[in-house]
Amino acid sequence: MLKIWSMKKEQQKKDNDEAAAGGKKKKVTAAQLRVQKGTNSALSPDLNELSLGSTMTTEFPDPDNILEFILTITPDEGQYTGGKFTFSFNMSPSYPHEPPKVRCQQKIYHPNIDLEGKVCLNILREDWKPVLNLNAVIVGLQFLFLEPNASDPLNKEAADDLRQSRDNFRRNVKNSMAGGSIRGVQYDRVLLK
Amino acid sequence: MAASSEDGTARWQYLNHIRKTKGPFNPPTDDEDVTPEMLDTLGKSTILVIGAGGLGCEILKNLALSGFKNIHVIDMDTIDISNLNRQFLFRKSDVGKSKAEVAAAFVERRVQGVKITPHNCRIQDFDEDFYMQFQMVVCGLDSIEARRWMNATLVNMVDEENPDSLKPMIDGGTEGFKGQTRVVFPTMTPCIECQLDLYAPRAAVPLCTLATIPRQPEHCIEWAHIIAWEQEKPFPSLDKDDPEHITWLYQKALSRAEEFKIPGVTYSLTQGVVKNIIPAIASTNAIIAASCCNEALKIATSAAPALGFEDNYMSYHGDEAIYTNTFKYEKKEDCAVCGSLSKPLEVDPRWTLQELVDSLATNASAQLKKPSIRTDSKTLYMRFPQSLEEKTRPNLEKTLREGLGLEEKQEIAVTDPAFPALSFKFFLRFT
Amino acid sequence: MTEIVMSQTPPILHGPSDKEKKYDRQLRLWAASGQAALESANILLVNSGCGTVGVETLKNLVLPGIGRFTIVDEAVVQNADLGVNFFLDETCLGKLRSKCCTELLQELNPDVQGEWFPKQQGTVELDQVLLDSPTYTLIMYTMPISPKDLAALKEYGQQHHTPLVAIHSAGFYSYFNIQLPGTFPIVDTHPEAERTIDLRLTKPWPELAQFAEEMTKDMDQLDDHEHGHLPYVVLLLHYLEKWKETHDGKLPTEYKAKLEFRETVAKSARTNNPEGGEENFQEAVAAVNRNIKEQTLESTLAEVFSHEASGNVNVKSSFWVIAGAIKEFHKKHGCLPLPGGLPDMKAQSSVYVKLQGLYKAKARKDSQEVLEIAKSLSDGRDVDSAEVDLFCKNASFVKLVNATTGDQDLKEQKANDSLAEVTMMPLSLFPIYLALSATTHEPTASVDQIKASVHSRLPAAADDMRVVQACEEVARAAGGELHNISALTGGMVAQEAIKIITKQYIPIDNTCIFDGIASRCQVLRL
Repeated sequence: MLKIWSMKKEQQKKDNDEAAAGGKKKKVTAAQLRVQKGTNSALSPDLNELSLGSTMTTEFPDPDNILEFILTITPDEGQYTGGKFTFSFNMSPSYPHEPPKVRCQQKIYHPNIDLEGKVCLNILREDWKPVLNLNAVIVGLQFLFLEPNASDPLNKEAADDLRQSRDNFRRNVKNSMAGGSIRGVQYDRVLLK
Repeated sequence: MAASSEDGTARWQYLNHIRKTKGPFNPPTDDEDVTPEMLDTLGKSTILVIGAGGLGCEILKNLALSGFKNIHVIDMDTIDISNLNRQFLFRKSDVGKSKAEVAAAFVERRVQGVKITPHNCRIQDFDEDFYMQFQMVVCGLDSIEARRWMNATLVNMVDEENPDSLKPMIDGGTEGFKGQTRVVFPTMTPCIECQLDLYAPRAAVPLCTLATIPRQPEHCIEWAHIIAWEQEKPFPSLDKDDPEHITWLYQKALSRAEEFKIPGVTYSLTQGVVKNIIPAIASTNAIIAASCCNEALKIATSAAPALGFEDNYMSYHGDEAIYTNTFKYEKKEDCAVCGSLSKPLEVDPRWTLQELVDSLATNASAQLKKPSIRTDSKTLYMRFPQSLEEKTRPNLEKTLREGLGLEEKQEIAVTDPAFPALSFKFFLRFT
Repeated sequence: MTEIVMSQTPPILHGPSDKEKKYDRQLRLWAASGQAALESANILLVNSGCGTVGVETLKNLVLPGIGRFTIVDEAVVQNADLGVNFFLDETCLGKLRSKCCTELLQELNPDVQGEWFPKQQGTVELDQVLLDSPTYTLIMYTMPISPKDLAALKEYGQQHHTPLVAIHSAGFYSYFNIQLPGTFPIVDTHPEAERTIDLRLTKPWPELAQFAEEMTKDMDQLDDHEHGHLPYVVLLLHYLEKWKETHDGKLPTEYKAKLEFRETVAKSARTNNPEGGEENFQEAVAAVNRNIKEQTLESTLAEVFSHEASGNVNVKSSFWVIAGAIKEFHKKHGCLPLPGGLPDMKAQSSVYVKLQGLYKAKARKDSQEVLEIAKSLSDGRDVDSAEVDLFCKNASFVKLVNATTGDQDLKEQKANDSLAEVTMMPLSLFPIYLALSATTHEPTASVDQIKASVHSRLPAAADDMRVVQACEEVARAAGGELHNISALTGGMVAQEAIKIITKQYIPIDNTCIFDGIASRCQVLRL
């Protein structure tokens, strides 16, 4: 066998490496480390002040599993003001090689969110990169409530409404948020009060 | 016939002649003669093969014919008919059986004197004690996730007080006419995680394109896979190996394609998109597996310099003539697996977590003023976000050993907003 | 046995056939046409020495399903064989190696026929085997080989236009050399998809120009949704027309003009939306560099045209007839036949499908014209339209292998090596070839014998330090094969054999040297 160990000792002498580890227990996985770091930077108070404001909170059903959490958005601007929307976040062990899986937990009337809760946000799919973090995703979701995008929708009817008449769309949003039906589809009531 | 089959002298004459004869590229310091005992060490070492598929079958054959006598192989898969064009240890009558078991039995039958132990399970089913018995690990995997797990496990196993804890890892991969071989000496040379950016994430199409403006046959198939399946749930859960499920998706995709007048949806394409099939052929597997085993033999015998400390990566391209690129991939300083190896942290087991947190701020080698702390399975204290802080705050009052159940040598990961790109790993040493 | 795998859509409710299932992972590389070629291939291996590298090569050809193979090998199985060759076991000791390997190889794939010589222990007359056998598609031989057998194979290769592959593996080194029968053209080279795109933006045909004009005539009146879904091909055609109006009819093909043109397109995007821009305009800007350029011939195709003109082609195969027809098409139209592919781009489904239809129709029309030209040429009466279609689709990427005559030599390799530090190129593996090929007939030659042999061939090389080292390393092996090196080499040779038999992808020209110590290859023309 190649004399690897003596090479290691030499390498350490050279690097003056005091790193040491003896017969350890189970390790922290790479994905968990990334999320831990990610939550630190994404949700740190300075960033809260900058962009997140008071309109968002997170909830960890199991604090020992930081790879799953619920994000609540209560928009204070735009057509969705007065609603409360929750999204489940789920990071696989391949995170950040793969994007987090995000689902809206309510059935809502929104051009970019379908009735199953799937969200069309570029960085959740085609534009995800491992250097992105949860903060980018959260900002993206917030943006969707401020500026629903009518071109290339997931909910085609909602998009057509938005394109044809903003007023009509606004009425439908209000109606759906109160638990009403639009074209035979009943939406979940999401009003804060 | 010269020698009986029991006598290895005649059988291994080509290999042993080369091993006993020094070449011009052997390190000059390595001047001792190769004795019969030294030749025998190869037969005494135990080597682990991960995967008994396209690469794995080749690797088992190559190791057996390189003089390794004790081999283990792990694979959780069963044999499928589409394996038979390259996984040459399997026959049509083996379809449905365990890959690890059939492959091990075949090579044992063919090459006398080799012992191959099959494990028909996941690599995650074993712990470090199991992996500690091997001198080397050769991976022939098709999943990034399994590679990363094995890599992290081997890096974490390295124990400064135990030379046997450092297991060289040799990793192969193929796609069509292309492939790569790399050698990792855990904690010493760049690991698989350091090289993660060499894997381009799979190209994805925007969901809204699938939902409203499909243009390609792949868009129709993805629509059937991601959207139609979930709306209609034709079967309780999608089994990508069940032809009935693939047929359902194929028909959905086909009718959507007809609706939009998009040509090109076929059964084969449906299967390819849904299962993310990567083309695979016998010859490429032969090249990459043999390259891996050549490195394994060189490391195990020092018969010639191996990849690892200088060049550590060979990529092979066979579609346009032949081109290899053998180079040194650099270690990533902030690698999440090998970038920060855990350091000892002296703590009193009777301390509260708060006292540990305070000590991190004053500890000269840490200086972490706002730390968040986790073990692999438990969130001890997270400062952000607020909800998590509230939930974990009560832990601050608890003592390390009694209250939180922490043990000697427990590893903890610490992050701090002052160092957004870093995480620090420590293992506890009780005072 | 020779059932051809069909690539057409299987009827609904019918999955793939058993054969399609078995070969699924390779059909995705070379399709039904490549598979059919493999299944009609008949391969000869003349085996010798340790005998592993040739058998490992065959394994990689039997698995994907070649039609038949023959092993000629006089050796009787010894104990040493069992330590290096996987296709032998204990029961083979004392038996004919050719027969035992054939049987264990054939077991890998019941669709493949195997044959062996000699039938009884003793010598084999290679001449007689060649005379008695059906024509071989490809012949491989391993070192060492007797000068007599070598001469017989070379003669056969010339007579039957059969590619010959010489393989040599010893210790940590190997090389193989492919001798193709004359110039070897390949149409289906599988270039990267994005390289094959020809949008004809600088030279739109009338239907395309009209389509773009209609879509953009009241562009400013379009609503945001429609404006944001104009395909970038249409956008670029529109802005190119406008550009020409203000630039004396010239196209922005120069670097500076391109930059300016890109700017013009970028500025035309609407920004009154949340994203502050439009994706289709971004795509248009990104496509400028690659797609707006003077039509020039790829050098490989220029080589085909000049080769055709040089009269070097004595066999008027359909390839050269079609090449002649395309050359004429090019002379007449100033461009090649349209390949017909359209990349994905942001657009409404119906608009994209229409645009795609325009490109396909034009490609069909061009291909038809080439077919007509071909049929009017001598030897062109029976040219197949499917072959013309394929040629038209790949015209820019057609490749001639073995067309040049200039061989690389040691002097050139040493000159390159002296610049290695500047060019960052790895050192030449030519010394390995020199040393290894010196043992072609004498596998167990000593260092001094190998050096002397190199000296007699290339006096200048004998004192070169790297050549001396290679000689020492070759002598160290004493002709013994290492299984890994032979398995690896067998993989490379099999890849090349598949490329030659299927006439797909690009084979090497003509020698590949492998260094198992540094773990790398080099291809040289020798």
